[in-house]
Amino acid sequence: MNAPAAQPEGLSSPLGLAEGVRGGSRRALAKAITLVESTRPDDLPLALARLEELRPDTGGSLRIGLSGAPGAGKSTLVEALGQHVVACGHRLAVLAIDPSSAVSGGSVLGDKTRMSDLSRLEAAFIRPSPSAGAHGGVSARTPEAIEVCEAAGFDVVIVETVGVGQAEAEVAGMTDVFVLLELPFAGDGLQAIKRGSTELADVIVYAKADLDPVAATAACARMNDALSLLRPVSAAARPRAVTVSAHSGQGVAELWTELERCRDARAAAGAAAVRRQRQGIARMWRFIEAELRSDFVSDNAVRERLAEMEEAVARGEMTPARAANELLVLAGRRSG
Amino acid sequence: MTGAPRRDAAHDPGDPPLRTSADLADWYGAARSAGGEGAAAARITPDGLAVKVLYTAKDAEDLEHPDTLPGFEPFLRGPHATMYAGRPWTIRQYAGFSTAEESNAFYREALAGGAHGVSVAFDLATHRGYDSDDPRVAGDVGAAGVAVDSVEDMKLLFAGIPLGKVSVSMTMNGAVLPVLAGYIVAAEEQGVSQAELSGTIQNDILKEFMVRNTYIYPPDPSMRIVSDIIAYTAQHMPRFNSVSISGYHLHEAGAPPALELALTLADGKEYVKAALARGMGVDEFAGRLSFFFGIGMDFYVEVAKLRAARLLWWRIMKEMGAQKPASLMLRTHCQTSGWSLTAQDPYNNIVRTAIEALAAVFGGTQSLHTNAFDEALALPGDFAARIARNTQLIIQEETHITGVVDPWAGSYMMERLTQDMAGRAWEIIAQAESLGGMTRAAESGWAKLQIERCATEQQARLDAGSDVVVGVNKYPAPEGEAVEIRTIDNSAVLATQKARLREVRAGRDEGAVRAALSALTDSARTQGDNLLALTIAAVRLRATVGECSQALEQVWGRYRGTAAGVVGVYGVLREGDEAWRQALAAVDEFARREGRRPRVLVAKLGQDGHDRGARVVASGLADLGFDVDIGPLFQTPGEVARQAIENDVHAVGVSTLAGGHRTLLPALVEELRRRGAADIAVFAGGVVPAPDVPALHEAGIVAVLGPGTTITDCALTLLAGIRASRA
Repeated sequence: MNAPAAQPEGLSSPLGLAEGVRGGSRRALAKAITLVESTRPDDLPLALARLEELRPDTGGSLRIGLSGAPGAGKSTLVEALGQHVVACGHRLAVLAIDPSSAVSGGSVLGDKTRMSDLSRLEAAFIRPSPSAGAHGGVSARTPEAIEVCEAAGFDVVIVETVGVGQAEAEVAGMTDVFVLLELPFAGDGLQAIKRGSTELADVIVYAKADLDPVAATAACARMNDALSLLRPVSAAARPRAVTVSAHSGQGVAELWTELERCRDARAAAGAAAVRRQRQGIARMWRFIEAELRSDFVSDNAVRERLAEMEEAVARGEMTPARAANELLVLAGRRSG
Repeated sequence: MTGAPRRDAAHDPGDPPLRTSADLADWYGAARSAGGEGAAAARITPDGLAVKVLYTAKDAEDLEHPDTLPGFEPFLRGPHATMYAGRPWTIRQYAGFSTAEESNAFYREALAGGAHGVSVAFDLATHRGYDSDDPRVAGDVGAAGVAVDSVEDMKLLFAGIPLGKVSVSMTMNGAVLPVLAGYIVAAEEQGVSQAELSGTIQNDILKEFMVRNTYIYPPDPSMRIVSDIIAYTAQHMPRFNSVSISGYHLHEAGAPPALELALTLADGKEYVKAALARGMGVDEFAGRLSFFFGIGMDFYVEVAKLRAARLLWWRIMKEMGAQKPASLMLRTHCQTSGWSLTAQDPYNNIVRTAIEALAAVFGGTQSLHTNAFDEALALPGDFAARIARNTQLIIQEETHITGVVDPWAGSYMMERLTQDMAGRAWEIIAQAESLGGMTRAAESGWAKLQIERCATEQQARLDAGSDVVVGVNKYPAPEGEAVEIRTIDNSAVLATQKARLREVRAGRDEGAVRAALSALTDSARTQGDNLLALTIAAVRLRATVGECSQALEQVWGRYRGTAAGVVGVYGVLREGDEAWRQALAAVDEFARREGRRPRVLVAKLGQDGHDRGARVVASGLADLGFDVDIGPLFQTPGEVARQAIENDVHAVGVSTLAGGHRTLLPALVEELRRRGAADIAVFAGGVVPAPDVPALHEAGIVAVLGPGTTITDCALTLLAGIRASRA
């Protein structure tokens, strides 16, 4: 390989990184996200320092969570909504989280194949990230990645995840407004509500409305009926269901208006600030839990016995509680 | 033959010749004691068909069509009564490269050397409906086929070839309207009328959505184009095949025979339904539907596939109400498998091609393309093309194989296999129907995933050595002498095409051209007049391929496929394999040191839509623990560089199969450098001729991973290259 070209932003020194992010360098922004997501122990102090430097410029975006079942049309919706948001004069960052394989730890990150028009726009930045084994299908450091995007001048940030496991609650817990995608054929509104995730949603979208407009409209109407029975997440914003066709563009502008309305209603009632305050505390605990777990599994005594203990639990030779206790003793967290 | 009295040997002991179960039990005993437990076990093909070690009369007991005749329903034994005894199959070699003049010289030489027809390969810019001067296609013009921008190129392409006599096959699907119109107008200006034209236009858009990706518009308007062409040719071009329903590309993408057969026939059924829906009678057009299958190395199974194909198409067309024999009989072109060719020990490909050609002939094909042995390395050279053509001439003129019609008929094995093949394919066709037909099955990604799963499993079997390829994963070749290959000077072609385009645009009546193009746009919007008729009018006035395509794109937009990839398929088949364990450990070690998993962007540059290799590699690497970004198709170097930087990947792997590497790969390295990301390592995979490799290294490409590289070797090369690039 030939000699590396000069790196104008001085990215090789961590000190230049925050400057690069603020100065609008895509390369610096991308590197900063990699740094805050890094699992290398000696990267952590560097990441914390960068986040500290960027802090004055964070917090200013509308943070949108977007989740739904596989095949519900999330990326296609983001492609359409994103282009509209940019056309309205905003700068948009998309953090797309894809599940990592539980077997190999690897992942296939294909979201940009569905967002190729959006990904060409100057005012857009799209970063797919693997969930990397974090709970709930969201990367453990997504909240930090959001802040880095904000410091880079993006005033709308969309976090997109597959709605499996705890993902919806996780995403709703790190964003200002939460959008849930439903397939029009997935049962009636009440059934959807019983699944629990609906009560987190500020907007429920029936995407792919072009495939079967009648079914989508009917499902949307049933959902709105059901939602009227439900207690809203905050008194300031009652959730609503809408239909969108990403292909024809029908409903895209209305969805954006609805999201802005949610934000404004919450801000007027003082609920937006409260939500972010609560999220701050939750994030602190999340961080603690993740770090404790990571310390625990990298403990040498634990590493030596972990596979064997898992095996013993799997075969029923040892109760899960007993195995956990023995490992905690090994790590010096309990006295034997 | 004695007809087909169904006998049960156990109840009719006095009447030979059927074997009894008792005899067979003895045979199994003998086989086991001679060769162990596995010796008598049937082989299960990737389609799930059982191919037994021994077939007996019992296997032929319950045949649905045990004793039929060629040229008569259900046409299982062949569409014509005397088959090759009357007239051998047509030798039709697919070719085309660089400019119209060069391809024309090649066709004339081939016709003089014994070829019976012409088969045109267009470049990817033309396939995707771009003129050569469009900046998006700079690396693709003339690289993998001939560049055609206007009727002036078409006239040069067919200069000195009498279009009223020589049949012409054109592989075109995306930009099918302006290309077919160009051929019609070129003939007209040679003085040949539409009614005299014979040949085939591929016009099979459904498979493009599954595998080859040279579509332009979304599925529904694309289907309207297909049926407009069926309608127009039925009325004006009675000797011209309006669709060549193609399984070949499904085969190349990894579909095993029954899956290839089923999806192809289901595509055919969909085209028939589309034509019926616009009010045509089935017998008005069905006789001009032709087929195109790929023929791989599983010899008996491939013969059975062609026999089963004719049986099933007859059955489908009966259901659709066809009456005329021509509507009920499946006529097909075949091509030996390009995928089965190897870059290592390339002369072995001559043998592979000869065996596949034999299977196609025993299966009863109507025309055949035999691949040149150097096609895994580059576009065919003159010497390799001659050997390929001679392979067919030798079978036709030296062996007397042509003297017997359907010689495998009556073989217990072949009859059983034909029926099992038909049964398996019929199940898959029913599945596609249950999804709402092939337009929906292709659009939803279902069909693509079926094929991709098979391709990924096949790669795992090859990498594990359970599928043997001589000279590649067994009996490796010594360092061989370099094979002489054809190279295309893409920049020279580009200059020629741009100059000719300027000339064409300068010499035409601009107002008339604009009017003809807006008539096209209006028809797209209103479901109005026949699109082929309107395109012929525009092309006569010298509207270009790009302009005609753009006129329709204004209304329909450009389509983009989005199927998800398969995961977990490859890893399962390699579990426990030593090379696999070592690669897993290397990936884990990398992740520990880096604080994240190795991350690689698998990208396609330019208009090359062949994504089998890219997707299989992506799937295998993810199973090894890589984070793999899959880039959209048809990207420019700048777009790939931007994605690599935003996703902050360690490496970009570019899969290149269509000759665009010489311009596009150095451009990508340059784009990364310009954006301060020279530490992102760039790798190339696919078909890169050996003489091009030093120049690519020079331009900053870290390594070229040629055909035959296992996923595990690929992973280790990536890891080493990433480390070296950052040192």
